[in-house]
Amino acid sequence: MAPVLPLVLPLQPRIRLAQGLWLLSWLLVLVGGLTLLCSGHLLVQVWHLGTFLAPSCPFSALPQVALAASAVALGTGLVGSGASRASLDAEQYPPWRGVLGPLLVAGTAGGGGLLVLALGLALALPGTLDTGLEEGLGSALAHYKDTEVPGRCQAKRLLDELQLRHHCCGRHGYKDWFGIQWVSNRYLDPNDHDVVDRIQSNVEGLYLIDGVPFSCCNPHSPRPCLQSQLSDPHAHPLFDPRQPNLNLWSQGCHEVLLGHLQGLASTLGNMLAVTFLLQTLVLLGLRYLQTALEGLGGVIDGEGEAQGYLFPAGLKDMLKTAWLQGVGPHRPAPGEGPPEEEPPKEGLPEA
Amino acid sequence: MALLKVKFDQKKRVKLAQGLWLMNWFSVLAGIIIFGLGLFLKIELRKRSDVMNNSESHFVPNSLIGVGVLSCVFNSLAGKICYDALDPAKYAKWKPWLKPYLAVCVLFNVTLFLVALCCFLLRGSLESTLAHGLKNGMKFYRDTDTPGRCFMKKTIDMLQIEFKCCGNNGFRDWFEIQWISNRYLDFSSKEVKDRIKSNVDGRYLVDGVPFSCCNPNSPRPCIQYQLTNNSAHYSYDHQTEELNLWLRGCRAALLSYYSNLMNTIGAATLLVWLFEATITVGLRYLHTALEGMANPEDPECESEGWLLEKSVPETWKAFLESMKKLGQGNQVEAEGEDAGQAPAAG
Repeated sequence: MAPVLPLVLPLQPRIRLAQGLWLLSWLLVLVGGLTLLCSGHLLVQVWHLGTFLAPSCPFSALPQVALAASAVALGTGLVGSGASRASLDAEQYPPWRGVLGPLLVAGTAGGGGLLVLALGLALALPGTLDTGLEEGLGSALAHYKDTEVPGRCQAKRLLDELQLRHHCCGRHGYKDWFGIQWVSNRYLDPNDHDVVDRIQSNVEGLYLIDGVPFSCCNPHSPRPCLQSQLSDPHAHPLFDPRQPNLNLWSQGCHEVLLGHLQGLASTLGNMLAVTFLLQTLVLLGLRYLQTALEGLGGVIDGEGEAQGYLFPAGLKDMLKTAWLQGVGPHRPAPGEGPPEEEPPKEGLPEA
Repeated sequence: MALLKVKFDQKKRVKLAQGLWLMNWFSVLAGIIIFGLGLFLKIELRKRSDVMNNSESHFVPNSLIGVGVLSCVFNSLAGKICYDALDPAKYAKWKPWLKPYLAVCVLFNVTLFLVALCCFLLRGSLESTLAHGLKNGMKFYRDTDTPGRCFMKKTIDMLQIEFKCCGNNGFRDWFEIQWISNRYLDFSSKEVKDRIKSNVDGRYLVDGVPFSCCNPNSPRPCIQYQLTNNSAHYSYDHQTEELNLWLRGCRAALLSYYSNLMNTIGAATLLVWLFEATITVGLRYLHTALEGMANPEDPECESEGWLLEKSVPETWKAFLESMKKLGQGNQVEAEGEDAGQAPAAG
C-alpha cells in the first residue's frame, strides 16, 4: 500500500513546518475574524433593507452561511495554532494525539464544506437581487400612502429614510412617483375641483400628480427644493424641467441598493476565497505534521526521518479495507466454514 | 508618625514592583485612548464649525490630547523604573530622580482631574456659540451664489436631516428670515409684490420652512408652506399637528449631542485618573520601601513603606521651613560676602 503524496520530514523541516503552520494558523484566525465581521455587517444591512427585498429573495442566506463558515475557519485557525505549538513541545503533544485526527476530519468536512457552499452562494445569489429589489421597491412605493393600513404603516417612513440616507429617488428615477398615487385619499379634499378632475381623468380613479415626496430633494441644489408641478415649465420661474439634476436626487434607489449590496457581497466573496485558501493550507500542514509524528510514535524530538502523507493508501485500497472491516464481523457464521475462509481473504489485501 | 505605614518583605516588594509594571503599561494604553477621545472630539467640533461661526473653543479636546500624550510618556517611564526597581545596581541610577519624579506625577494627577472636570463644566460656552452660529447660518441660507457662503444651505439642510431638528429654537425661526433667494422669486407675480411691500425691510417672508425640516414619521405627505393657514390644507390644524415637522430646535439637538459626548469622555477620564492615582500611590510605597531598607546589600531584609514620613501638618510645616531656608540661604550668603569684603577692605 503506497501512501498518497508522501513527504520525507527529518527533524529540522518538521520544526520549520510546525513554526510556519503556527504563523499560518494565526493568519487564518485574523482573516477568519475579518470575514466574520464582514458577514455580520452584510447581515445587518440585509436586515435593515428587509422591506425593500421581496420575501422570496434568497439573498439573506449568504451572510448566514458565511457567518457559520468563517466561525468554523476561526476555530480551525485556533486549533491549528495550538496543535503546531504543542508539536514543538514533548510534554504538550500527547493530549493532542488522540484529538487531532477527528478534528482534522471535522475541519475538512464541516469547515471546507461550509466554505465551498458560502463561495457558491456568493457567486450565485447576487444575481437574484435584481428581481428581489424590483418587487420589494415596487411594493414599498405602492404602499407609501397606506400609513393607516396595519402591516404597511411603516412603508412611508422607511422609504423616506431610504431616499434621505442613500441619496436616491424612486425606483429608477423620480418619474416613478408620477405613476403611482402617493398621497392618501384621507388628505384629499373631495370638494376641490382640481382633485376631482384629476381623479376622473384617470382610468383607475387614482390621484396622480407630477410631484415627488420631500425625501427626493437634493440639499446641494442652490434653490429651495421644487417638489410639485415638475413637468410644467411655466410653474416655477427660472426652472427648466429638462435640467432637474441638482434639484432632486438623479439616481434611482434600485441602482443604488443593487450596487451597495452587490459590492458588499463581492467583498465578502473575496474574503471567503482567501479564507478557503488559508484553511486548506493549514489543514494540509496539520495532516502532514500529524502523520509524520505518528510515524515516529509520537516522539517529538526523534531524529529519525519520518514520512508524512495525506492518506495511508490509495483511495481504492482504503475503500476495500473499509468494506472488509465493515463486512467481515457482520457475516453470519453457519458453522466453521466461513471463519476458515476469512483469514485467507484478509491475508490477500495485506500482500 | 508616618502616614499609612505598610510592612514589606522581599516577596511583597517584588509583587508590588511587578504589579506596578503591569499597571503602568495598561495606563499607557489608557493614555492612548484618552488621546484618541480628544482627537475625536476635536474632529467632531471641526466638522460643525460652520454652524458655530468658527469661534468654538477647542480647549477641552486640546487638553485631552496633551494629557493623553503626557500620560503615555510618564507611565512608560514609570514602567521602566518599576522594572529596574528590583535590581539594586540599576535602581541606584534612578534613586536621585525618584522624589522629583513623584512630585511631577502628583502634579500630573491634579491636571488630569481638572481636565476631567472641564469636560463636564464647559458646556455653557458651547450653548452661546451655537446660538449665534445657527442664527447666522440661517441668515445666509439663501446666499448660494455668494462666494464663501454658498455652502451654508447644504450644511444647514444636512444638519437638520441628520440631527432631526428645525431652526434655532423651533421651526418658527424660519418665518422671521428670508430663506428664499430673490433670484428665484417671480417679481411679476402680485402675491410676491404684496408680501415684499407689506414688510418694513422689503424682505420676502413666508410662513414656510425648507424641506429638511420635514419629519418622515408623519402619516401625511409633508406640508412645508402656509403652515399657519389651516384652510390651505385639507384636514389640517396647525395647533395640534405634531408629526409634520421636527419640533426640536437645532441648538438643543446639537447641545445635547455634544453634552453626551463630553460627559462620556469626562467619565472615561475620571476612571483613568483613579487608575493613575493608584499607580502614583503604589510607586510612592515602592520608593519608600526601597529607601527604608536597613541594609541595601541584603535584598531579603524587611522594610517599611509609607506615604508621608510625618503626618500631614508636620510635613506641610517642614515644606514651608525648607522654602524659607531657601530664601534665607541667599541672604546668609550675601551677608557673608559683605562681611568677608569688609575685613578685606578694612
